[in-house]
Amino acid sequence: MATKRRTTILVVLGLAAAILVAIWKPTVLIYGVQQAGLYAAIAIPMGLVLGIVHIVNLAHGEFMMIAAYATYFACRATGMDPLIAVLPAAAVTAAFGWVVYKLTIRRALKAPELNQLILTFGLGIMFSQLVNLFFTSQTRKISLDYVSASVTIGETSFGVWQFVFVAVAAAMAYGLKLFLTRTTLGKAALAVGQNPKGAAIVGIDVDRTYGIVFAIAAALVGGMGALFLTRSAIFPAVGSPFTMKSFSLVAMAGIGNIPGILGSAILLGIAESLLRAFRATRGWADIVFFVLIIAVILGRTLKWRKS
Amino acid sequence: MNRNLLRALAFAAGALAVSLPAFAGAYPLQVARNVIMYMALALTWDMLLRSGQISFGIAGLFGLGAYATALGVLRAGMGDWLSLAFAPVFAGAAALLIGFLILRLRAMYFSIVTLALAEIFRIVIHNLHDFTGGPEGVVLDGVMLGGSAAALYWLTLGGLAVALGASWWFEKSKFHFALTAIRNNETAARSSGVDIFRWLLATFVITSAIQGLLGGIYVQSYGFATPDSVFDANFTLLPLAIALLGGIHSTIGPVFGAILLGLSSEWLKLRLPYGHLVVYGVIIVVVILFMPQGLYGLARKGLRRAEGRAE
Amino acid sequence: MKKGFAILAIALLVIGTLAMTGCEKKPVGTIKIGGIWPLGDITGRQGSMAAQLAIEEINAAGGVMVDGGKKLLELVVVDDELKADKAAAAVEKLVTVDGVEVLVGGMASGAELGKIPAFKKYGLPVVSTGAASYTVENALGGDASWYFHLHPWDYNQGASYAEGWAAIQEKFPDIKIEKLFLAYEEGAFGKASWDATKVLFGGGGYVIDGAPFKSAALGGGDYASVLEAAKKFGPDLFLWAGYDADALPMLEQAKAMKFNPGVYLGAPPGWPADFGKSKLAENVMLYGMWAPSMNDTNVASKKFYDGFVAKFKEEPATYFAPLSYSAIYIVAEAISAAKTTEKAALISALAATSYDSPLGETISFSKSNVIPYQGIRRQKILQWQNGRQEVIWPFEAATESPVHPFPAW
Repeated sequence: MATKRRTTILVVLGLAAAILVAIWKPTVLIYGVQQAGLYAAIAIPMGLVLGIVHIVNLAHGEFMMIAAYATYFACRATGMDPLIAVLPAAAVTAAFGWVVYKLTIRRALKAPELNQLILTFGLGIMFSQLVNLFFTSQTRKISLDYVSASVTIGETSFGVWQFVFVAVAAAMAYGLKLFLTRTTLGKAALAVGQNPKGAAIVGIDVDRTYGIVFAIAAALVGGMGALFLTRSAIFPAVGSPFTMKSFSLVAMAGIGNIPGILGSAILLGIAESLLRAFRATRGWADIVFFVLIIAVILGRTLKWRKS
Repeated sequence: MNRNLLRALAFAAGALAVSLPAFAGAYPLQVARNVIMYMALALTWDMLLRSGQISFGIAGLFGLGAYATALGVLRAGMGDWLSLAFAPVFAGAAALLIGFLILRLRAMYFSIVTLALAEIFRIVIHNLHDFTGGPEGVVLDGVMLGGSAAALYWLTLGGLAVALGASWWFEKSKFHFALTAIRNNETAARSSGVDIFRWLLATFVITSAIQGLLGGIYVQSYGFATPDSVFDANFTLLPLAIALLGGIHSTIGPVFGAILLGLSSEWLKLRLPYGHLVVYGVIIVVVILFMPQGLYGLARKGLRRAEGRAE
Repeated sequence: MKKGFAILAIALLVIGTLAMTGCEKKPVGTIKIGGIWPLGDITGRQGSMAAQLAIEEINAAGGVMVDGGKKLLELVVVDDELKADKAAAAVEKLVTVDGVEVLVGGMASGAELGKIPAFKKYGLPVVSTGAASYTVENALGGDASWYFHLHPWDYNQGASYAEGWAAIQEKFPDIKIEKLFLAYEEGAFGKASWDATKVLFGGGGYVIDGAPFKSAALGGGDYASVLEAAKKFGPDLFLWAGYDADALPMLEQAKAMKFNPGVYLGAPPGWPADFGKSKLAENVMLYGMWAPSMNDTNVASKKFYDGFVAKFKEEPATYFAPLSYSAIYIVAEAISAAKTTEKAALISALAATSYDSPLGETISFSKSNVIPYQGIRRQKILQWQNGRQEVIWPFEAATESPVHPFPAW
């Protein structure tokens, strides 16, 4: 009861702060939310893997990078739009993720967690360096008209294309929630995530479930790769900073809390955007990300200790 | 018999390491310095890992120590040796402060907070332009010991000796029982009277101080510090990979791991100028998949099997 | 069983890599030049390739003349992986194992700083193709008389832009620049550009402002706040100092925000593949050292370009290719002039260099703020026109006139 009230107070306070910011500096809110959408849409698949397979996938960003490269070359060869490629990219990356799972990760599941971490670190190096070897580090981008779509309200004009990432992140969070609570496969996955041994006892094929969850996460991040190409230039190292950002967001939300990733991303996105809006604080915008993560994690542990 | 043999081997390896400048050229010495630097970092990381705590903050404390030395020389006018001594003191003090805050965290949450702290250190140094030189960094008035290849090698070896000594001490002293107890079962450890927080704090401060010292040595042997070079994520990730490939929870494992990764990366680079990092990634993947206990684990298994056959 | 696999796999790896490089040929009686670049990066990759091209051209023409007669050149390349410690090891290897007599190369300032202690130890002639940061110069010190720095220092670049814009405004009176905004990436490169811009443009009757952004190359890529600050300032000239990954996304975001400066100018080290094909690229201006369009007016540039494309079947993407190519020619000419590779004689021959480079200027060395031998000081001002980078300034190398103002979208 008490925690519920506290959560309500926090949400109300947060909303009030957001409204104040929106009135005072509307663009801060717009850009913050847009950036948050991108962060969250990339972090959610990582949160899924971490919550169920219990692996910190340090090659997470590289999966996105590979999907983006595949999309880029497919689009350049056929002249199609990256948006059309989102679903095929997701399908191909899912297959790729499944193969990677079967060939490598599955074999390290019995080993200590750290082995899995370093395994994915090695995979990440392999993927990015292979792409670097074949396509060099020169950046690539498909030039698109619609990404400059613009809305003008009064004096301010701003881009609206990036709201697509917010929609995608929300759809991912909601879709995964439905999947995990409504479908047999999803319920099995959730059970495996909570207690793999118990799940095995009741007859769930743990290995198959892990493989499918890993493939789903790869599909989501692969689709994001195609979508990412609309906004950003790609190069072999483009994915790795997002791995760290995603990991931070997932940790901030707490393991297994997928909607929480979206919430954390919005908090961080707006905070960053707020600091960037002022001359004196501009250089410090990066720090807010890490300070907030530490504050949230420490705050949560303190709360646990009290209760 | 076996123990005596190991002791003799360790002594021989130590003697070889110390006398290396007598017969090795400048290039092998430089490569050895790079290998030793990562070896020492991997050892310190492993020492904390023996309690079950996985730190992602090595680069942060390494960078703090590096800047403590560089700014100690440039802003406080310290001598070279004093600035080297200042690095572990500064990094250790920082670790003491943050240790109070974060050592109650466990598992992934501890890892991510150490990672975030490392980033915070980097951003602060990046932004305090006037004091730290900002993103362009600072340049010392040359390197220590007149830049002599042998002397700088011994300096780095000294850093390793500190790490090795601490690691051995950890293995032989009460630290070993305390940290192993905490790793295996924290509740049981607490009920048998282990003051978990104090042991963790001591370990965290000691390992951080050594990481800071290594940062100081790095700065003194290259003569500069920039945020991008001393807070490089590789200073966090490579020691992890090294310790794991060599075999964790031991002193000898990281030593093996650093030699394997360090030498193979240098050798591959000369063989395959373009694309050697692909093979580097493959090596990490293959070793993890086929030697989950690392080189040391494999060697131990092999030894045991050989002994079994002999009997 | 598992162990067997592991040993087999590692053995295969070793054999594989050995087999790939097993048949090395070591020419006898050659002069060895050591090259250090970041081979995993497009700049260093193509820089080392261009250097190899120059070596082959020189050898095909009979090599260099020294006292003992004609000798061929040999380039030994080592990757610095953009790391200071690896770069230091590369110097040691080239000097003590391969016995090179001259060193060339360099790109990132951070790696160059790592090489300097080893450079100082040996005092061999170095012809450097990279490192723009003034910290490198400070680390070298005033008595580094063996260091020949081709790339302009950060403050040289800033000064040349101030000079260039003054000249352009004088020649084309419809171009008026009073307010200048710099969006700079927050790392060393951008920060140095900002410092230089403040000093060099601050005095000349310009009003300047700037804001940092996090480059997409380093995990950033959100330009909204910096563009908003720029739009509010309303500059005649908008300059961004970042990396190639920022080029198109920033332009797209500027269009979305309806930000239309009179001059939209970028200063990345290289541009993305096919940037010129984007509609938005038209009339974007840029700072650079070289562009393929210079082939029309410069013989050396055309020779370099044709040779590079013929040998490697790809376009030189950044100026590090012609710069590294030039470095080899400068070394070869100095050896021929000195008739020896003896240190002191070679250094004085290098100091007397006068080389008609593919970069559109004759390279010679003179004192900079700290070091005695600085080569190129001027960058060029160029403009994307019909998918090509055309040189606008310096006028003696110009291939087109500027189009102004930057068209509204």
